[in-house]
Amino acid sequence: MSIRHSSRRRWLVTADAGTRPDAGPAAAHVVLESVGKTFRRSGRRTVALSGINLQVAPGELVCLLGPSGCGKSTLLRIVAGALASDQGSVRVGGRPAGGPAPDRGMLFQSPMLFPWLTTRQNVLFGPKAQRSAGIHQRDDPELDAEADAILATVGLAQFSDAFPHELSGGMQHRAAFARAMVTRPSLLLMDEPFGALDAITRIRMHDFLLSMWERYRITIIFVTHDIEEAVLLGDRVAVMGGKPPGIREILDVPLGRPRHAADVDTERFLAVKRRIRASLTR
Amino acid sequence: MSGWHSAPLSGTAVIEEGAQASLGAADHGPLDERADLLAHRRARRRARTRRVVTGLGGLVALVLLWQVAAMILSDQVALPSVIQTGSQFAHYLTRPYPAQGKPLWFDLYISLRRILFGFVIGVAIGVAAGAAMSASRVIRHLVDPVIEVIRPLPPLAFIPLFIVWLGIGELPKEVLIIVGVIPVMAITTVAALDEVPEDLRLCARTLGATRGYTLAHVQIRSALPGILTGMRIAMAGAWSSIVAVELLAATSGLGFLIMQAGDYLDTALVFAGIITIALAGLVLDGCLRGLLIVADPSRRG
Repeated sequence: MSIRHSSRRRWLVTADAGTRPDAGPAAAHVVLESVGKTFRRSGRRTVALSGINLQVAPGELVCLLGPSGCGKSTLLRIVAGALASDQGSVRVGGRPAGGPAPDRGMLFQSPMLFPWLTTRQNVLFGPKAQRSAGIHQRDDPELDAEADAILATVGLAQFSDAFPHELSGGMQHRAAFARAMVTRPSLLLMDEPFGALDAITRIRMHDFLLSMWERYRITIIFVTHDIEEAVLLGDRVAVMGGKPPGIREILDVPLGRPRHAADVDTERFLAVKRRIRASLTR
Repeated sequence: MSGWHSAPLSGTAVIEEGAQASLGAADHGPLDERADLLAHRRARRRARTRRVVTGLGGLVALVLLWQVAAMILSDQVALPSVIQTGSQFAHYLTRPYPAQGKPLWFDLYISLRRILFGFVIGVAIGVAAGAAMSASRVIRHLVDPVIEVIRPLPPLAFIPLFIVWLGIGELPKEVLIIVGVIPVMAITTVAALDEVPEDLRLCARTLGATRGYTLAHVQIRSALPGILTGMRIAMAGAWSSIVAVELLAATSGLGFLIMQAGDYLDTALVFAGIITIALAGLVLDGCLRGLLIVADPSRRG
């Protein structure tokens, strides 16, 4: 069996060789002010979040890092509009965040592809749904062309007619990414998207996300419990935890860009990781 | 999402990340991976053909066994041969049976009409009930006990009651089918709708779909294979109910024909009738299974 190093970078090559993306909406500035959330269930009150203050600059990639149950997924869903906050305000791109909307795309731990649609049909779900809601009047050939372009960018052009169950885990995540990006969000919310993947595929997905972020420069809020992942991907890391759950501190990641998954072995990276880990376990 | 095979089962993911291992030692380029996907699909088609041929072979063997057994036993009443059964079938397919004056195709038509009428109405009501139960906790808590009580009862037990209430025409038989179908469809619809992950709906909303669009194109669409599977189960139950009621309380239909033929010891015709029932049930189930395959691509393999 031969080892194919070049195949691992296949889609990186594709990404660079792809067409320049259209100028999408500007990446959003996100402002969270004193956000709090309390869950009431059968008489018991659970404070899930309290006093969250966070600002994310346009095009920044911020990681929310914390153990399970620290409220990071809750916070992400508040920003996405799936949950309403009980205190405080969330402003995305200068406007208050309402219900779920395509300008705030979301990616989950499971790719959540629609199993009855092919890859291409999955990617076109958003535009077609928006078309039937009257948001735009773009016709099929134009949408097909855009789907082809983004599928080529993520390296799935050969699999546009495959169904999700025919794709491997990493490919499904790439398809989900393409599907989210085709609606041109100004903010991408990622909830531990690589948590269910094996370690090797996760390395590839890190490289994938880093190269996609370089290309699109979209604002990303990335939730994870993995310190290494947070340091590798983020411009800043917001460490969450404590009682009541909040943001304990926000640390800068003093590593340059562009980054690659292989950077995790460098001295510089290890030093940064050590510092953040100390803060987390304090 | 159980029932949906979205995650690749071990060994069935077509292309591994980076195309290493699995499909042979040769180097693969991007175009070769596409060829691998097509080859994989072709292989699945070949496997499916093999399965169908093997199944048919089994049935043919069974028929041969039956013919041999009949020839050995040599008792036309106890075990008519395949040929005798076939010739009775051909004879009475278009000629009216002396006792009741209707040919076989008419009895088949009558049975089918009863089934389809009751089935369609039962499915409509059952799915609507299931959808309501899924949407509203109050409705669920109200309706659930009723279903749990009705479901284990064999619908046939209601026949004397329905005859008293509804007479001896077509109505009690239709209502019987409906009463049998509704609980099955309500339960499977609720289960199928409950199974749709909330995150899948949230995902659709973040892609720009309205609530209504998400309900129709994501939630209901995702529940469709489960609902179709429920329909297959309900259809099997309905089919056996209608034949049983025709044995007991009807003057037309395949069940009635079998009863008549039995009374005259025309066992060959009884066999012919039973086989017709089996084939008709198979065709009905096959139609639903075809719809199921269209609705759920992961079952195509």
